[in-house]
Amino acid sequence: MSKQVIIIGGGIAGMKTASTLESMGVSTLVIEREKNIGGKLNNWDRLFPTFTPASEVLDRLVDEYKKSGSRLMCSTNVEHIDAQGKGVTLSDGQKLTADAIVVASGFELFDATIKEEYGYGIYDNVVTSVDLEQMFKQGKVLTKQGEAPKRVAILHCVGSRDEKVNQNHCSRVCCVTGVKQAIEIKQLYPDCEVYNLYMDMRMFGPGYEELYRESQQKYGINHIRGRISEAAQTIDGRVKIKAEDTLVGRPLRMTVDMLVLMVGFCAGRSNRVFSADCGLDLRLSNFMKPRNPFDLSNITACDGVFLVGTVKAPKNISETLHDATSCSHSVLDYLKNR
Amino acid sequence: MNTYFHPFVIPFSLGVLFLFATLIFKYVRWYLGLTSDEKLLIRKSLFTVKSLKAVKECFTECLLHLKIYKVNLRLGYMHMSLAFGWFLLILVGQLETATYLANDFVPLYVHVFFRYFFPIAPEGVVHNIDYAPLMDALLLIILISVGLAMTKRLKSKLLGMKKTTRHTLGDRLALSSLWLIFPARLLAESATCGAHGGGSFLTSSVGDLMANICPVDMIELPLWWLYSIVLGIFMVSLPFSRYLHIFAEIPHIFLKNYGVRAKNEKSTVDDFQIAACSRCGICIDPCQMQSSAGVNNMQSVYFLRDCRQGTLEYKTADNCLMCGRCEQRCPVGIDLNTIRLNRRQGTLLRLGTNPYSYANQLDTSSGSGKVGYFAGCMTSLSPRILHSMDRIFESARENVWNADRDGGICCGRPLMLAGDIDGARKMMQMNTELFRKHQIETLVTSCPICLKVFKEEYNLQGIRVLHHSEYILELISQGRLSVKNNGNLVTYHDPCELGRGSGIYAAPREVIEAVASLREADEHSEHSLCCGSSLANTVIGTPQAYKIASDAAACFESTGAQTLITSCPLCKKAFAKVSQIPVKDLSELVCESLICK
Repeated sequence: MSKQVIIIGGGIAGMKTASTLESMGVSTLVIEREKNIGGKLNNWDRLFPTFTPASEVLDRLVDEYKKSGSRLMCSTNVEHIDAQGKGVTLSDGQKLTADAIVVASGFELFDATIKEEYGYGIYDNVVTSVDLEQMFKQGKVLTKQGEAPKRVAILHCVGSRDEKVNQNHCSRVCCVTGVKQAIEIKQLYPDCEVYNLYMDMRMFGPGYEELYRESQQKYGINHIRGRISEAAQTIDGRVKIKAEDTLVGRPLRMTVDMLVLMVGFCAGRSNRVFSADCGLDLRLSNFMKPRNPFDLSNITACDGVFLVGTVKAPKNISETLHDATSCSHSVLDYLKNR
Repeated sequence: MNTYFHPFVIPFSLGVLFLFATLIFKYVRWYLGLTSDEKLLIRKSLFTVKSLKAVKECFTECLLHLKIYKVNLRLGYMHMSLAFGWFLLILVGQLETATYLANDFVPLYVHVFFRYFFPIAPEGVVHNIDYAPLMDALLLIILISVGLAMTKRLKSKLLGMKKTTRHTLGDRLALSSLWLIFPARLLAESATCGAHGGGSFLTSSVGDLMANICPVDMIELPLWWLYSIVLGIFMVSLPFSRYLHIFAEIPHIFLKNYGVRAKNEKSTVDDFQIAACSRCGICIDPCQMQSSAGVNNMQSVYFLRDCRQGTLEYKTADNCLMCGRCEQRCPVGIDLNTIRLNRRQGTLLRLGTNPYSYANQLDTSSGSGKVGYFAGCMTSLSPRILHSMDRIFESARENVWNADRDGGICCGRPLMLAGDIDGARKMMQMNTELFRKHQIETLVTSCPICLKVFKEEYNLQGIRVLHHSEYILELISQGRLSVKNNGNLVTYHDPCELGRGSGIYAAPREVIEAVASLREADEHSEHSLCCGSSLANTVIGTPQAYKIASDAAACFESTGAQTLITSCPLCKKAFAKVSQIPVKDLSELVCESLICK
């Protein structure tokens, strides 16, 4: 079949869709805005719930993609989807045509500076889950003052389930990430006190609940139900937090050496443009909406435009890869019937 | 002696009697409902220059409608030509009657139906002015304005309004009779002129035309009956329709000039003001609840209508940002926010008998100095502002007493806006005691919401209350704060509570000019847009608030400025999550430009 499919985004969803389509005889072009493919997974050290190095999974996916024969354009931005899915316009004005478009542009991380009350970017020792992952990658988790933290608080749902910042959805993977990162801190510093401050613990995947229990039984990590209302910096650069333990029903104050913010999934800025280009609706938090969330979850109201991965909603890695396979079949069905 | 009577004058006369009886009944009842302070104020002001000012305002606003000209020229002309035209028609008609019938006792209706009784000027009366062409000209002017009003109903944009008011049945009845009055008068007068001669360029030519096509002497009387009946219907429906404003606006203007305004207590001042609303609908267009959030039933015009009809639902009273954009535009000068606030008090959820007892004697303040800094709760949740204020105080070497750095007592305004005046008074009392105890001379706050309540509801005699924009400006002009101008292009958002709420427009702008270069958005200063996060609205959901913020942010982005500056922590939070350009508080901008000595 001499059909051409353009895939916007070279993260794991885009790569997997491309390699699956290629294996089915469809030629693909992946357009990635960053220098390298792999998307957000490039920034991750180890993966929940098995502590598998992210690079292991990523390398396999990149390898599979590179062998598939798909064409790749990196450092390229797609500005618009043209003519109801018959092509795209790049930021340099170049126009490319295709038989189908797959939107795999993924998500953005919630900008923690918007929740100013937590002091990200203001206080020395407030970091995000992504910053912490970078520290794990470099093998050094230290406070700004260069010391090993003795007490760390991990705050869940920063930019998730928060109407005030128009993030109405649950980002799903942060709960287990918080547990994973807490364990990793304990592995580095067994004497460090680690607190997870959460709204609900949503351990939906295989092995997640077990990991949560292990964090309590084996590592002695504290889980407190209640979010932080505000944070302030002490004179010695530590972070003083005010929260409420909603199970006990009492206010809580503590001073920690490091406050980690579990930043949630935020809809990509391009969602607005692409949905307007194709006449599609967005979800409340600006994620893209497929025809339905059941059996038509990869196709859209606009023929020839497909959605895959976290451009629709927060997902973990395996769900994203399954979605990519499913999307490839939807694309193939569409191309065959034309 | 001629009695000048015909049975057709009865509907009109009864209408007039009914109208004035109703008006007197209403006015007396409302006057009696005023508080004794308000009555005293009226008695004291009655024979002062304030009354003259009120008379002048009645002329410029009730008749000329000068404020509406500011909204749109055609709209202003429409209102003026109808009101002033009709007024002149009555006045000139009276003069005409008085000239011809100087020595006779003349009932009121005679000048209204003058042309019927005197198609041709009575002989032997000396008069210097020929009234007929004048009366015809006035009638023509009014007919044109009725035409404009009809056009406005069909296509409001032609008269400068995107949306016009949706009317009630009573309004429709009154409106229809009003629209019929002048065409009916034209036909009746023309028929008389056609049958008996007389009239001028309009009535005589229309009369000739009518005489050619129909038996004018036969339809003359029915037309006068019609004219009298529509007049009667209008007079009777007037007190129950929006046209009550024609008469209610006059006492309202006098009360306003005497300083009797709506305030947070029970008084019939509100009734005077509610009746003075003409439902012109000028408040609809500036309302962002309408333009951004798509809510079409709570605008001031509808709120006041529901108040008058006694059909107000709490949801309507509560569903308002209280940004004051409508109040600023209202040509009648109604205290829209205060009246709305007064209607909110029934919706309260009472929290026990003394829910705030825990706050008694609470003092978590720190530091000491003549200057007190009350950050406010929203500032506490915006640590960049706190940090910047700390650096500014430090640079100016100011000793500061921090009222609420470690959690303080609420200023009370959120409770007030929710309608819990008693709860708010408790907070105010506790804070006032705290300020007195620490003997501060100046109170600086970063929050315009706190500022407004400190200024208007607290009794802080001897303590200067400043917003941080005013305080920073003072430091700069006294040379206590050295700043450099970075030349960055910024735009400024006037927070509702600071601008329209407290009238502070210049201070933040002067501060900005000292450290950056300012480019104003299309709608700025008193026309500034609301961020949508107002504490005053407890009804809309976040998606709607978000939409209001996004639309407003887009206006600021379109200036091409690099940064959006505001001076309210709540507005900052609202814009930070939607703006494509960085959003900063004024204090942050100043902090970045400090020259450290």
